[in-house]
This record gives sequence, C-alpha cells and structure tokens, in this order.
Amino acid sequence: MLALTVTRRILTELWHTRRSLIFWALFPALMLLLFGLIYAGDSSPADSFNYTAPGILIGAAFFFSCLGGPIAAIVAERERNTLKRLLLSPLSGTAYFLGLLLAFLVVAAGQTVVVYAIAFAFGGSFRGSLMLGMLVVVLSVASYVGLGFVFGSRFTKRTEEVNGPVAAIGVPLLVLGGTFFPSSVLPDYLYRIAHLNPIFHMNEAMDAVSAEGLGAGAIVDHLVFLVLFAGATLAFGVRSYRVMLQRERVL
Amino acid sequence: MPAVLGVDRVSKAFGERRVLSELSFAIDSGQVYGLVGPNGAGKTTLINIACSVVPPDAGTVTLNGRPVTADAHARVGVASQDVALYRDLTSEQNLEFFAALYKLNGARRARRVAACLGDVGLQDRAHTIISLLSGGMRRRLHIAVAMLHQPDLLILDEPTVGLDLESRHRIWNVVRTVAEDGGSVLVTTHQLEEAEALCHRIGILHQGHLVAEGSMAHLRRHVAAAELAIIDAEDLDAVRDRVSELGLTHRSALAALAVWLPERQSLDRVAALFGGIELRSVTLKPVGLEEVVAEMTQEGRPVRA
Repeated sequence: MLALTVTRRILTELWHTRRSLIFWALFPALMLLLFGLIYAGDSSPADSFNYTAPGILIGAAFFFSCLGGPIAAIVAERERNTLKRLLLSPLSGTAYFLGLLLAFLVVAAGQTVVVYAIAFAFGGSFRGSLMLGMLVVVLSVASYVGLGFVFGSRFTKRTEEVNGPVAAIGVPLLVLGGTFFPSSVLPDYLYRIAHLNPIFHMNEAMDAVSAEGLGAGAIVDHLVFLVLFAGATLAFGVRSYRVMLQRERVL
Repeated sequence: MPAVLGVDRVSKAFGERRVLSELSFAIDSGQVYGLVGPNGAGKTTLINIACSVVPPDAGTVTLNGRPVTADAHARVGVASQDVALYRDLTSEQNLEFFAALYKLNGARRARRVAACLGDVGLQDRAHTIISLLSGGMRRRLHIAVAMLHQPDLLILDEPTVGLDLESRHRIWNVVRTVAEDGGSVLVTTHQLEEAEALCHRIGILHQGHLVAEGSMAHLRRHVAAAELAIIDAEDLDAVRDRVSELGLTHRSALAALAVWLPERQSLDRVAALFGGIELRSVTLKPVGLEEVVAEMTQEGRPVRA
C-alpha cells in the first residue's frame, strides 16, 4: 500500500513537470526512426523495424528512464531533504523500491506503446507472445530500477553526479549488450563476457520474442538470469538504501 | 500524569567531542518548550535523540512515560531546519503523500490535510505548486506536514530562520494554536525574542549543558536586577567608574553599557546617578532572555546548571 503511495507521488511529479516524459518518449522514437531507416537501406523497412524495435526499447527507452530515472529520484530526495522526512516515516526501503519499480513500469509501458506504434507504422510487427513480451519488459525494468537503486543510494550524491554512473558503466553495458548492433558481431571473448551483462539478456530475450516469434523455452536462460539479477539488485539496493538512511540520519 | 517528553540525564558524544552532558528536563501537555543556545550547542543532537534517530550514550528519553523507540515517528512530528517538500507537487499533494505514509486514509486523511492547511493559513494555496510558494509559505507547509498525524510532541528546529516578520508571526501563531489545543511543542531557536515570546519554559543550552531552565519569570532570577539601564556616553570609562562607586553591576551592551538596577527607577533618577558625565542616551528596559543567556553563558562561568 505504501509502495503505491510512492508510485502515485512519482508519477504525479513526472506529470507536473512533463519534461522527462517528453524526452523519454522522444529519444527512443527518434532512435528507432534513425536506426530503422538506416538498416532498411533501399529495401522495405518492415524487417528492419522488426529487428530494431526490441533493441531500441531496451537500450534507448528503458535505459534512460528506468536506470537514470530512479537514480535521479533518489538523488532528488536527498537534495530536497525529503529523505530525512522518509526516514522519520513508517516507509520501509522495500516499499520505497517497489514504489519506484511500479512507477517506472508505468513509464516503460508508455514507452513500449510509443516504440511499437512507430514500428507498426513502418510495417513491423510483434511476432511472439504478448504475455512473454510483457514478462521480458517487467524483468528488464526491474533489473534497471534495481541497478538504479544501487547507484542512487550508494554512489551518487548530487544531481551533477547522476550522469557519471550512467555514462561510465551504463553506456559500455549498452554497447556490450548488443543494443546498437547484433551481438553476433562481437568477438568470441567479448560475446562470452556479454553473458554477464543484464542488457545482453534483455536484448536477446526481447529480440527472440518480438522479432523471431520464439517461445519461453528459447529464452528461459535469459529469463532466469534476469530474475536472479533483478533479485540481487533489489536485495543490494534495499541494503544500500538502509546504509544511505543511516548516513543521512542526522537531521 | 507523565510528561509528554521526559529527558533524564541524557549524554551524547561523537568521538572525543562531548555534545550533550547529563541533560534533564520535561515538557508537559499544552506546553511550548524553547531550547536556546548558539550553533553547535547540541540542540539538533537532542532532537535527533528525542525522535530516536540517534541513541543517547547515557540517560533516558520518554514520550508519555514510554521510552522512545524506533516507532517514535508515530508519536513525534518533526520539522527539521531545512524545508523538506516535493517541489513539483502542490501543497495539498505534499500533505496527501505524507498523510498516506502515516497511514491516514479516506475521509480522515482528507480532514487532516484540510485542517493542517487551515492551521498554517494556506487553504487558498492548496493547489499551488511548491516552487511557486514564498519561503515563508513553504516553511509553514513544512510544519503542517509534521502536524499531519497529530503527534504527541511537535518538534520544530529553527522554525523561523531566514523569514520576514510577518511569516515569523504566522508560525508563532501556529505554535500557539497547537499548544492551546493541548499539544506539546519543542522549539529550538537562537532567536531569543522568539523564545521569549513563544515559550512557556526555556532551556539554555551551552556547551552541551543545560545551564538554566524554567519559565521566563524563573530565568530572570539569574540576573540580579529589576531593570536595566542602557547608557551610551562619550566617556564610557567614566560611567563604569561611577557604576563601581555606586556598587552596581554592569555589562557591555554593544557600544553602550547595561547597568543592573536593583529596583525600578524613573529615567530622571537614573540620569541623576550619572550627574557630571555627558550622557548620549539612557534607556530603561526590563531584564530579558538576552541578558539571562549572556549571564549564564559568559566566559569563565562554570557550565553546570
């Protein structure tokens, strides 16, 4: 229940400012258009948009909203002193994390609609199970939000520092995750390393369901990895949040 | 009936630095208690202990007779020194959010939000985004958030710092209303006129010790004067000499001299005491908290109460 309160607050704030929502819709839309048209070349864009949409959704849309968003939200709590208010309220770290997660799931749902509306407009389609696609989306968002929770509560103290972890750690993960080109072009040793990267599993799973129309059996390894990763970041994130509250205890 | 807040021989040190030393005082229902003292005197540390954010090294803190524990948030409302609000939400949405965190639901939440907005005089700003409110309005709303769950004890840390006179008086009225309704308030401030105007009892904190504590009438007894004569003269040394000849006590008061008068006297009689010395001005004023604090915290005086 308290988690829903946090969700509602975050979404209301986002709605009031709208800037973030506009950019979180605009950026993946433009990226999809550019990559879709570039990869299409002179041929029909349908296939190109089919294969580009999953990567753009995971790498351009969710990456910035669901990783950068939670980091910025936690840093803002600290800068506005509201973190101390939360410390003195009955809100637990887990409820706060779940509130963030639910809020960014709503944002991610909106981004999914935008990305696939554009893909459909260019003849693309969603070939696999919608339910399975939703499961991949939920696990991807949970992994990003968990990672954002860790960065926000442990490594980032001021707004100016938000871009640091996103750029230094996030962008290489994007490249190594096969967001901008198929992971098949990676050298063998990088391909093996890529298996440790959650974004690789998000991309591979979404690509398999959306573009290839494969079933759960084909992506079970990716799903297991994402479940474990999301669980680990949740546990570590909640712990980091508690540590952060301990540090911020003095009023 | 136990005190709303009972502080008994509380001590706290951070490393080698002793911040609070055996502090004891109590706040009763309907009472506004002021803690005054310079920055670093230990006021905020005491607040942190009172709401169980920081444990004391020794001593006990009780709320309505029960020890303060981790669930203190349900029984204490705190408005910290820094305003803590969500800038992109309206006043009402901020209150709604915090009310929901305190598990106030449905009609009760709506009632409390409306009541708190009314208490701080912001009902006409309910739908205004925080970033569009003035500093004084934000601070009032900040206090309203602390009052939402009707805590046993409301703690206000420097509630009027940086505010204009009108905003200050509005906040004082909020505090008075809380006390009139039977609530208890602990206010920390280093604005002495604020403490004097607002508080039923005042504690003077100095170097971690409560050097004096009680009602204003009680505190005045620490200054052995019925009234003060503030004397400004070209030759203050001559005034000092005359004060010594008269066997009176004096203290420096900026560029003037504050002379302690053992009994109330007319201005002419006081001026007559300094006949032969060219005086620029003589003003009579009652003994206030400023003089008590100066007396109790002067250098060389033992810090124990």
